[in-house]
Amino acid sequence: MLRKEQNDLLTQTGPGTPMGQMFRCYWIPALMAEELPENDCPPVRVKLLSERLLAFRDSKGRLGLIDEFCAHRGVSLWFGRNEDSGLRCPYHGWKYDVTGQCVDVPSEPVESGYCQKVKLKSYPLIEKGGILWTYMGPPEKRPPEPAWEFAAVPDRQRYISKREQECNWLQAMEGGIDSSHVSWLHRGDLHTDPLFKGAKGNQYNLGDARPVFEVVESAGGLYIGARRNAENGHYYWRITPWVMPSFTMIAPRGNHSVHGHFWIPIDDENCWTWSFDYHPVRELTAAEVAAMRDGKGVHVAVIPGSYRPTANKDNDYLMDRAAQKAGHSYSGVAGFGMQDASIQESMGPVVDRTKENLVSTDNGIIMARHRLMRAAKALAEKGVMPPGVDPEHQKIRSVAIVLPADVPYKEGAKEVLVARPGVAPATV
Amino acid sequence: MLSESARMSSAAEARFRIDAPNSKGRAVKIIALDQDSERVVKRLAQRNWNQASFLTASAFSGAPKRGESFSMSGWLSDIAGRTKDLMQEVGSADLVVMVATAGGNAQAAAIIGEACSAKRIMTTGLIVGDASASDEALSKTLGQLRPWSVMLVIASAEDYIEDMLVALRA
Repeated sequence: MLRKEQNDLLTQTGPGTPMGQMFRCYWIPALMAEELPENDCPPVRVKLLSERLLAFRDSKGRLGLIDEFCAHRGVSLWFGRNEDSGLRCPYHGWKYDVTGQCVDVPSEPVESGYCQKVKLKSYPLIEKGGILWTYMGPPEKRPPEPAWEFAAVPDRQRYISKREQECNWLQAMEGGIDSSHVSWLHRGDLHTDPLFKGAKGNQYNLGDARPVFEVVESAGGLYIGARRNAENGHYYWRITPWVMPSFTMIAPRGNHSVHGHFWIPIDDENCWTWSFDYHPVRELTAAEVAAMRDGKGVHVAVIPGSYRPTANKDNDYLMDRAAQKAGHSYSGVAGFGMQDASIQESMGPVVDRTKENLVSTDNGIIMARHRLMRAAKALAEKGVMPPGVDPEHQKIRSVAIVLPADVPYKEGAKEVLVARPGVAPATV
Repeated sequence: MLSESARMSSAAEARFRIDAPNSKGRAVKIIALDQDSERVVKRLAQRNWNQASFLTASAFSGAPKRGESFSMSGWLSDIAGRTKDLMQEVGSADLVVMVATAGGNAQAAAIIGEACSAKRIMTTGLIVGDASASDEALSKTLGQLRPWSVMLVIASAEDYIEDMLVALRA
C-alpha cells in the first residue's frame, strides 16, 4: 500500500509536480516518426505530461513541438496551414516557426517588430529509431540523446508500435515489472503466440510453475530476476531490467526478437504504451513483422487511422467468455497487450493504492516505487539528476540464461546485461 | 451508448467503490541474521507497526556438526533480549523477513527457513549494504539466504526495509 500523498506524488506528472519534474529530465517518446511523414505534412496534436502541444515538420524538414494554441486568440493551431517554413493560424494569419517563435503578425507593420515579442512554449523534437523524442525540461539541463539499443539498430531489425491506454502511467508500468502475473493472465498464449513459442526456455517455464524472484538494484533502476530450476543444480534465469522512470524489457525467448515497453503519461488518467521489438544481430522476418502488425506478441491491433486498440473499453475488450470457458484464453481477452490493458484500465483512471494488499512477490513493484520516490525527492530538494538519464544506464539488455546455483545473477550475467552492438543476446 | 467497461472504469464510478477494510492485518516477523542487520532491525522496531515484531538471530553460532546436539531455542531473541522459541514464532507468522548484511553471517537462514518450510510460511530474504561489499562477500550471504527465500531483495539503502514493511501493511 501507499499513503494517499505518496500515491499522488507518483501518479501526478503535470507541470510543477515532483514526478512531472522527474519525467522532464528525460528524452521521452512523443510520436511515431510515421506521424510526421514529410515536409509540410499536417500537424499532429500531442498531449504529454498534461501539456497540450502540437507537432509539425516544416518545409525544410525541421521538427517542432510547440504550444497547441495561438498566442493571439487561443485558436488550436491544429487548424493551421503548414507552409513556407512555419505554421500559420487560419484565424488571423499569425505564423510560428518550429521553435514557437512568431514570425508574422499580418495586422502589424513588419517594421514594428511586434512578432519578435511573441513566442510560444516549445520543446526540442528529434528523430531516432523510428520515434520522435522530446525533452520537456529546462534547456540548460538537456541530457545526451537517447541511447537505447532498439533505437540504434538498423530499421529492418526493429518494429515499434504505440497504443493509447486509458489509465494512469504507473499502474500500466507496474504491470511491466510484475513478473508473477504472467503465469496467470497470459497463461496459454506463451505457447501459441508466434513471437514467443518454440524456445527451450518455455520448457523451464512449464517444468517449474513456482518461480522464485530476486530484485536487485541497478545503476539505472532495477533488475528483476525470475529463477526456475534447470538441469544439474543450475538455475534458469529470466532477467527483466527496469530503467527509470518507465522503461522495461522482457527477457528473450530463443531466437525470437526482444520486446519491451515505455509508459509515457498523456495526463494523469491516460498514458501511451510504447512497444518495441528488435533483434540486435538480425533483420526481423516478414512473418514476424506481419505478426506484430496483426497485434501479436506485445503489440495490439489498432483502429485504422488511430492508435486506439481495436479491443477497448467501449466494446468490453471483445471479451470472449466462450473462449475463456473452453480454456483457449485464460482471461477471455485476446493478446498479451490487451490482456494487460483491460485489467489495468479496470482498476480505474488512477488506482487507489491505499486499499491494496501487496504480498512478498510484489517486491519488484515496492522497490520501483521506493526508487521513484527517492529520486523525485533528491531532484526536488537537491537537484540530483535521477537514474536513467545517463546514456550508459540505457545501454542494457534483458537476459535469459542458465547459471550455477550459487552465482548472483547480477554477476553471472554482468557481461550480457550490457548492450553491445553486433553481439547476439543471451537467450535460452 | 457507453459499454459497461467504459462506464464502470470512469473516475465518476470510482466514487461508488466500497469504502470498507478489505483485509485483516498480517503478522510479519522480521529477523536480523547478523550483528549489523540487528542494528538496522532495532532501529526499525522503534517505529509504530501494525503486527510486525522484530527478532534477532545474531547469536546463532552455526549449524551443528555431525553428532552434536542442537537446541531450537536459546539463540533467537526479541529486541529486548528475551529468548524466543523459533517454532512458536514462525507458527504465529504470516510472513518471515530475514535481514542480512552483505558479507555477514547468514547461517541462521537455514534453520529459520527450514522451520518456515515445515509450517508453510512465506519467506523473504533481504540483503542490505551491497554497495560497500565485495562480490565474494555478497555471494556468500546470497548463497546462505537463497535456498530459503521465496523472494530475495538486494537493497543498497537500509530505508528500503521500512518502505517494504509499510507497503506490506506490517
